[in-house]
Amino acid sequence: MEQNVREEDLELSDDEELITAQKVLENLENAWLNEKFAPELLPQQTEMLELMLGQVAHMEENIKELDKNDFRSIAHRMELERIRYIIASYLRCRLEKIETFTKLILQEEESRADEEKRMSVEETKFATEYHENMENYFKTVALQYMPTLQRSDADQRIVRPNMMSHVFVKAKETVPAVVVGVEDEEVDLVAGSQHIIPYQLISDLVLKGSVQLI
Amino acid sequence: MDPCEIEFIGEKSQIGIVPNFNFDPIHLISGSVGPFRAGLPVHIPLWLAVHLRRQRKCRIVPPQWMDVDTLEEIKEEEKRSKFFTKMPSDNYMVEAQLIFGCAAEDIPRCDEIRTIIKDIFDIRESKLRTSVDAFIKGEGTYAKLDNLTLLEMHAIRPILPHALDHISRYQRVASATQRDMSSLGLNTSNLSSSYHSQSRI
Amino acid sequence: MFGDKAFELVKELQRTSETLPPFDDDGVRQVLEEIKAIFEENCQQAAAYSHSGDRTLWPLLSFRHAAIQRNKRCLLAYLYQRLQRIKAIRWEFGPIVPNDIKNSFCEPETQWFNSYSKSLATYMRSIGDGQGIDLTGDLKPPKSLFVEVRCLEDYGKFELEDGEVILLKKNSQHYLPRSQVESLIRLGILQHIS
Repeated sequence: MEQNVREEDLELSDDEELITAQKVLENLENAWLNEKFAPELLPQQTEMLELMLGQVAHMEENIKELDKNDFRSIAHRMELERIRYIIASYLRCRLEKIETFTKLILQEEESRADEEKRMSVEETKFATEYHENMENYFKTVALQYMPTLQRSDADQRIVRPNMMSHVFVKAKETVPAVVVGVEDEEVDLVAGSQHIIPYQLISDLVLKGSVQLI
Repeated sequence: MDPCEIEFIGEKSQIGIVPNFNFDPIHLISGSVGPFRAGLPVHIPLWLAVHLRRQRKCRIVPPQWMDVDTLEEIKEEEKRSKFFTKMPSDNYMVEAQLIFGCAAEDIPRCDEIRTIIKDIFDIRESKLRTSVDAFIKGEGTYAKLDNLTLLEMHAIRPILPHALDHISRYQRVASATQRDMSSLGLNTSNLSSSYHSQSRI
Repeated sequence: MFGDKAFELVKELQRTSETLPPFDDDGVRQVLEEIKAIFEENCQQAAAYSHSGDRTLWPLLSFRHAAIQRNKRCLLAYLYQRLQRIKAIRWEFGPIVPNDIKNSFCEPETQWFNSYSKSLATYMRSIGDGQGIDLTGDLKPPKSLFVEVRCLEDYGKFELEDGEVILLKKNSQHYLPRSQVESLIRLGILQHIS
């Protein structure tokens, strides 16, 4: 018999707040889109991720008993594939950024307080290993053979994202007086409106959740 | 963003179907669907509806807006207005494509509807191209894009943000150059001063 | 001309149609030697310059410095681009690389690949509190558990797992569970319509 996950609200760890699985999925989808379009690495939505992975595992267990051709089994499996795709795409997108901007991300992460950290523990481990692997490789193959003066410019090799690249945004709530140009002109972003704007100018709004990248 | 990802997002839209079978409610993570009672309409996500339709287990109920008169009105409005009209669905193209792909027989006056939707899309695309052209030439770096759907944004996605990035870069260089020149006491009056313009696409 | 060999390395890599050509040991060594040679010349002249203060030496010193930077930049670009391709190979083939491709790796690249492969695998396994996800799969949005197929010949009756019997006549079209008809598709009896 199919267990009833419909009414089961999931618990968020910090507050006693309850959240539905549906809302978790919605949050994850939004996080996925934001991550796709933001030039920088955003804070990982670890809690949403873990809740959803839990739901997915739970659901997979539930439908194991069902006949593969049962409509319920098919509908659930189709949905689970969709959810797995979003999660995989989200994490892959993050890995790509971590691999491209490794040194910068590791540096910035170090200067952040624990609650502000953007990478998960596992991502940090991966980033550190990736960086080490890269540095060792370049040293072994080239840098050790170069004259001393030419070696020590690891800092020169830091890759940064273009924070001023343009993004499409949708305002989730009305945000007054947003700077939109190099000469400081301001515009009110009305809830529901859509815009194209340099990322840097609205990056804080993305982090706050006032706008959604699309 | 891949076209298949745009379709993936559009597939979440709800659509009405009339099943030819009975089934209890299914509690999907994204929300419950059903119960399914043969002959009675029910709303489900498009991705599931397409599957059922392909299996011939239901017929699709065309969305309210998928009707010749409604669409003709929208088309006229689109032709009349300088700006983009609000479409009845944020994913109208994806929905249309998927429904026509599997359930053309379920849509009355399907061919006419297909044509009008294509016309609307063409008018919007052409407006978009003109606006983008003017926008880039006017050296804007910000614009309002109300009522543009994801698919349409995708059509300009590679070009527009990229072009704007370049413009921003040139503006910053021009700004810096102007500052440098004034600090050297040089005449800057013939440098372009139209740095930006706000526009509505 | 300084920098020619280095530039050639990069150009060759870009031009090749192979996934990964063999590592150009000689080419890399030549560039490193050139860097060393230019540097040593500059060192001598730099000493002379600080002694004599002869400013006419300055452009030459700058030029050599620029040549070293260019060589270095091309070389690093070559190495980095190869690593990007090797990374893509891991994502496509998994931890075991086909032999013909493996032969193109130089020893340090093999080591880099193994480290990366292990690191990636560990990361993927650790996701979701040890639940793990294979991020190298699910690369495109899912379409369906079912596929649309056309029958290419008169096959006759075909029974599905749930007992339903379908008549597979030439040119008939059906929407069937992917897993159950994969073998028929492979045999050429059914054709997958996208």
